[in-house]
Amino acid sequence: MKNNAAAVLFASDEDSHLNDLTIHRTTASLPFGGRYRLIDFVLSNLVHANITKIGIITRNNYNSLMDHIRQGRDWNLNRKNSGISVYPPFVFNAAHEVYKGKIEALYMLRGFLMNSNEEYVVISNTNIAFNIDFDEVEKFHEEKGADITMLTYTTADITSRKLLVTTDKNKRITDIRFPVASDTGKRLCNLNIYYVKKDLLISLIDNAYAHGAYDFEKDILRAGLDELYVMSYEVDNYVAVIDRIPTYFKSSMDLLNPEVREDLFYNHSTILTKVKDSVPTKYKEGANVHNSLIADGCEIDGTVENSVLFRSVKVGKGAVIRNSIIMENGIIMENAQLDYTITDKDCIIQSGRRLSGYESYPMVVVKGKVI
Amino acid sequence: MKNNTKKECIAMLLAGGQGTRLGVLTKDVAKPAVPFAAKYRIIDFPLSNCINSGIDTIGVLTQYRPFELHQYIGNGQPWDLDRLNGGIFVLPPFMRAKSGEWYKGTANAIYQNIEFIDDYNPDYVVLLSGDHIYKMDYADMLAAHKKNKADCTIAVLEVPIQEASRFGILNLKKNNEIYEFEEKPKNPKSNKASMGIYIFTWSVLRRYLVEDEADKTSENDFGKNIIPKMLADKQRMFAYQFDGYWKDVGTISSLWEANMDVLRGGTGAEDLDLDDDSWKIYARNMAEPPQYISPTGRVQNCLISEGTVVHGTVKDSIISHSVTIGKNAYVEGSIIMPGATIEEGADVRYSIVGWNAVVGKGCMVGETLAECKPGEWKISVIAPGHNLPDNSVVGANEMIG
Repeated sequence: MKNNAAAVLFASDEDSHLNDLTIHRTTASLPFGGRYRLIDFVLSNLVHANITKIGIITRNNYNSLMDHIRQGRDWNLNRKNSGISVYPPFVFNAAHEVYKGKIEALYMLRGFLMNSNEEYVVISNTNIAFNIDFDEVEKFHEEKGADITMLTYTTADITSRKLLVTTDKNKRITDIRFPVASDTGKRLCNLNIYYVKKDLLISLIDNAYAHGAYDFEKDILRAGLDELYVMSYEVDNYVAVIDRIPTYFKSSMDLLNPEVREDLFYNHSTILTKVKDSVPTKYKEGANVHNSLIADGCEIDGTVENSVLFRSVKVGKGAVIRNSIIMENGIIMENAQLDYTITDKDCIIQSGRRLSGYESYPMVVVKGKVI
Repeated sequence: MKNNTKKECIAMLLAGGQGTRLGVLTKDVAKPAVPFAAKYRIIDFPLSNCINSGIDTIGVLTQYRPFELHQYIGNGQPWDLDRLNGGIFVLPPFMRAKSGEWYKGTANAIYQNIEFIDDYNPDYVVLLSGDHIYKMDYADMLAAHKKNKADCTIAVLEVPIQEASRFGILNLKKNNEIYEFEEKPKNPKSNKASMGIYIFTWSVLRRYLVEDEADKTSENDFGKNIIPKMLADKQRMFAYQFDGYWKDVGTISSLWEANMDVLRGGTGAEDLDLDDDSWKIYARNMAEPPQYISPTGRVQNCLISEGTVVHGTVKDSIISHSVTIGKNAYVEGSIIMPGATIEEGADVRYSIVGWNAVVGKGCMVGETLAECKPGEWKISVIAPGHNLPDNSVVGANEMIG
């Protein structure tokens, strides 16, 4: 059935530190899970819930994102009504400056919001791998009589950039704060996805923008906790927030676990991505592959263990790839050895080369490098 | 309400045949919809050839069990055939004001769609079959047709002379003009076999179709009626020599062989390389996650597609998308079609397991083949959707379901 929400997605996340992996791209277009880009997860979840009017706000490096999304056909978003639009940073910005925070960015998209017929808005970051039912979020929002529903998740990955959330018995959020050194163990954190009535959002954004505020979480959410019903919708199935290279590595390795794949790929939504018409993967005589996730289009004549191979990767005879992530079009030549290494797209590791990082600090080979 | 977009050349794809020789595989679907090479369907080959040759208007004639095929084709988007003008059209038989009938033969199928073809006012019509595996540039064949000022051009393949009596054979003059057509001749005079791929000058073919329909004794078939009649009338008919890989996959043995040719590549199958950016074969995508080979999985000399999970041992096989191979299962020389499950400890050799079939725990299916003559492989077949009970034994060449 038709859904009554539009969505605004942030292609970049200022709080992410993915260094070499996001030199050439937004976090939204970071390759993940063998054949996906991170934005595929939120897009697929939205489309599954029939939320089909989607605006994506970009900040920089959005070429790879535009190339990935095109007209949105791969997500069934090439519609006459609604559909997907990518907003480069300067489209509505008279100041000729890239927006400072979510408030400014949302203010820029005021026209998009005003013009949409939908009554609600989903606001989401794009660096999250998850599979949830947005219809349930909507139901929760109505049942709780919420002004704003914040999606939250429990994690032990507490970095200084996470926002810890405290709720009362009724799931109303009573506090939002940065973590301090004593915050160890698993905590309830903000997932950076919100569900809110459009009119309320516009008035909150207008008011905050008029006062020079730019931090959505601090200046609108935390400042409004007393007056607004900000409710916590806890996502309890698998969630990966990709904000640093070690979490990117760990989340990729999580996919080797059948339960995680079940949760992420077969739960509610089919995860859709750009179709590339790759051929099936060919395992040659020398193939020795164990506990690995392999996309189509690969040609494997060597050893691959505990690894993720993206589309069209070539693994030469005698090459050994362990605990590694090889992105699209990677060529690992004969007898090369990789351990705890992430090679970005189009890398070539020549014969006999040996690269090794550590689980806590995987080595990253930048896009297009020849070693 | 006339369509005013003229197309120089359109294609008509005959996809209505039942394909009885494929047995249980075509019980519920038309032959062109049968899966091929892990992520394709047979029809992907002619459709991809069309779009790669610059033909963007295709009529697909369906009749037998058309739903799966209609659904698969959809609006033609996977082949880039969702066009403002032209595109892909599924053409099942339909009712007219006074009458309506099934397609009686291949020629009658085209005859019944004369209005569709006329709407594009084409100079030429390419006639294709939905059961051949090959990569071919029809634009090159059309250029030859134009150069020869031909009324009809038939693609031919040189086959070993000892096998020529299995094919429709064309006897040619030096300039490749056809002077005789012999269907499965006992004593073939040439080894030029018709591939069932034709280009006609539409104004000429249209006339013959109308005449053929009026002839009550005709079987309304291209091979039996139209081509012999055009030859008898001394129309300009030429052969177009094709040198690449081509296989009619109308039998279990040839379907298995063509799949293995894709896997093997190399001599004789170089032209079947599917990983060719200049001639991609397109297919509808299934939106499955990548394949997963588990810690106990062993895979050698295989083609495997997305969504598949391998816990067992797989050798020399084609494993399609969304397949599960259980622990301690052994698969050799086989084609496992989409969605099938090979349960723990099952042993599958030289077999085709149909889509969504389940081979139960400990089953023994098929046998490792000693030397077989090409085209006479003893392949066991499990029907699509069939549930083979645990510990069943299926011998070589048996068909179950």
